Amino acid sequence: MKASWAALLIALVPASAEAAKLRGRVDGFRNLLNPVWAEAKDPKEHGYSFREPVPTVRAEFRRLFPHAPKEICIAALAAGPQKSPPPVLVRIGGGRTTPVTLVVPPGTRLTFQNTDPFKHRLHGVGFPTFQPADTVRGATREWSVPGPGVFEIRDELAPSLRMWVVGDPTVAAIAYPSMKGDFALSVEQPGEYTVQAFFAGKKVGPAMPVTVKEADLDLTKTPLKVGDEKAAAAAEKADAEKAKADAETDAKGGDK
Amino acid sequence: MVLSRFWYVLLGLLLGVTLYLLHLASSMYNRAGLRARAEGLSADAQVVSWYLRDDARQRSAELIPFALEPDVAKYLQKSNESEAKVPEDARGKLTQALNRVSAQIPKSLGFDSVFAVDQNGRVVAYLGYEQASGMEDFELGGYPVVADALHGYVRDDTLVLDRMYRVVARPVEFDLSAMPAGAIVGARVIDDRFARELSQRTGAAVAFYANGQRAAAASPADFNTANLDAIVGDLTDLEQDKDYHEKGRSGVREIGGLIAVQYTRLPGEAWRLGAGYAVARQPAAVSGPLGFFSKADDKDKKQGNLPLAVIAALVAAGLGILFSVLEHTRPLRVFKTEAAKFAAGSIELLTPSHFRGVFRKIAADVNDGVDKQLAKGGGPRRGPADFKEVLGDLPDQPVMSAFSLPGDAVADAAGSGPLSVGNLPSSAHGGSGARQLPTPPGSAPRRLPRPPGAGPVTPASAPAHLDATMPEGGLSGWGTGAPDEAEWQDVFKEFVATKQQCGETIEGFTYEKFVERLRKNRDALVNKYGAKRVKFGVHVKDGKAALKANPIRE
Repeated sequence: MKASWAALLIALVPASAEAAKLRGRVDGFRNLLNPVWAEAKDPKEHGYSFREPVPTVRAEFRRLFPHAPKEICIAALAAGPQKSPPPVLVRIGGGRTTPVTLVVPPGTRLTFQNTDPFKHRLHGVGFPTFQPADTVRGATREWSVPGPGVFEIRDELAPSLRMWVVGDPTVAAIAYPSMKGDFALSVEQPGEYTVQAFFAGKKVGPAMPVTVKEADLDLTKTPLKVGDEKAAAAAEKADAEKAKADAETDAKGGDK
Repeated sequence: MVLSRFWYVLLGLLLGVTLYLLHLASSMYNRAGLRARAEGLSADAQVVSWYLRDDARQRSAELIPFALEPDVAKYLQKSNESEAKVPEDARGKLTQALNRVSAQIPKSLGFDSVFAVDQNGRVVAYLGYEQASGMEDFELGGYPVVADALHGYVRDDTLVLDRMYRVVARPVEFDLSAMPAGAIVGARVIDDRFARELSQRTGAAVAFYANGQRAAAASPADFNTANLDAIVGDLTDLEQDKDYHEKGRSGVREIGGLIAVQYTRLPGEAWRLGAGYAVARQPAAVSGPLGFFSKADDKDKKQGNLPLAVIAALVAAGLGILFSVLEHTRPLRVFKTEAAKFAAGSIELLTPSHFRGVFRKIAADVNDGVDKQLAKGGGPRRGPADFKEVLGDLPDQPVMSAFSLPGDAVADAAGSGPLSVGNLPSSAHGGSGARQLPTPPGSAPRRLPRPPGAGPVTPASAPAHLDATMPEGGLSGWGTGAPDEAEWQDVFKEFVATKQQCGETIEGFTYEKFVERLRKNRDALVNKYGAKRVKFGVHVKDGKAALKANPIRE
């Protein structure tokens, strides 16, 4: 998997011997909440008949933070518009796409490949250029980003599958962090850039302006803080209280 | 008559009440059946829901041995350390570990497929999912059930992939201070085998559906599983069901009169995909009172107490026949016998005391009728002695009247001989006002009713007796001796008495008119036939008093 994922990055970022590496790190991504999983845990969504925490797993790991290597996209945004990269491969499998969030210049062609042993039926939400169509096992489907903006893609046959494509003409390079949060951006041209993290189609954390010269840059000392622990803790607490209230309501209402 | 009529009324009432009760019973049965069916379907749906939840819980417990297997945790952790590619040795070792643990799980609690997933969501090893053979990048990490397990939760889900699966997952921990090393996922295919097992344990007829198609179905032995196919045609309308849409469970829906079903969404991703299960029951309604016969099974028929029904029917029929014999057949037979005797003349009259009920009245009426007819002279007669003959051809010899009055007739005052009637004054010819009735052999003569206004009967005042067949020459005294007017007084009296006997009115009927008419007829006959004189007699014709004239030439 990693090989194909690397191929994606290679395809997205123009290879150049003179490309500068921006090494950085995202921090606090465990304070983010995957919207699909968070929605699925809501009892009102009827996503399960029972769901219980395993006591031996520490509470900090029970938070439904995203799988950073697929869901957090780090983009280097240039000062001006950038050329569209070669087609980007998006794999459909395992209940999600890889990547989940993608930031590319408008006009970029995306190739969706079904890696599951059963069919999918992707479609765009709220825009007409990506109508529902079956993609059988191993087949591909192409779509070009129509313009700037956020485009959500879903699967009629797999409700948990949601993908966000952000069309931004200034995207010069993108990267996905590791499980530890480390990432490396390859920027071909020197200049002024802004490093920005995207998650679920939205910007998360502060933008980090950088000046790229010929040498590589190490940004790990100033990590991109994409999630606030206090806010996450407050949200988690509110969520727990809401769940408790719902459980009490259900208990009063009886088992339906 | 009272008993049999009461019996007919009672039987009629019983029949009506029975029909009403049958209709009432069928209506109540259908209503109770509908209610019971709705309750039964709700109970079935609830039981299936509980079964699915309980089954998922039990099977999630069966995942613990996988999670506790050291090699599973170890090689999942090893896979996590290699983000680029799953190490091949990890795949192999994990597969062996999965096989080891799976072999120890009771078959009834086993899984169709087991997956070992690392932190990246990649399936490092699996059992029983051959569709993924050769797919090195096969993963499951995006599904909420797997994500939850990777984040420390145990839960269930229902996934609709190539088929429908009931899935449970739990975390696999390697280092308790770190994130779980991965997750172990167990899946059961929702197929006919699954449905059969569920149906056997819950007693419900159940069908699973997804994507508008029936995925699996099973039912108890007394339910035709093929009927469950009918739900496919109903699924398109199901989304219109408000309860189903909002609460996940529909109301009771009847499909084509074949089955009644209740739909329930399955928890998990299947909920949002419109997948679920339907429990069904066959309708227990009857189409009418006779519908009970087709619906009753052998057990019902045993409860029906047929011998009691047969005995009741026989007793009712027997009572009806008994009452009919007592009140119809037997009196009629007695009456028939008596009537036959009466007709044969062996009895003078019907004896009402021999009869019962209406036959007694009939007998009395018959007797009265006979008496009246006899009083009228026996009713109209056919024969030559008709007044019509007065105007017909004149015979060569004097024609004898049918009711001539022989002068030598002697009335038996004691009543042992021919009965003398009337108290007409004796005429010059020896009492022409009496008639003699024929009497049946062996019976006593009956006295005729006296005409109104007549005086008491005395032997002297009843010299004549009535004879229907007058001997030739019996009229020898007629036309000789007394003048016509002297005879006519007697004829008048007899005529008046006969009219009264026949119930005719005599108002305005005077002797003068009578005599005038006789004179007129006499003169006409004398002129026409050259007769010396005309003798008149009285008789009854067509129930009325009539005169007969006999012209006499000498």
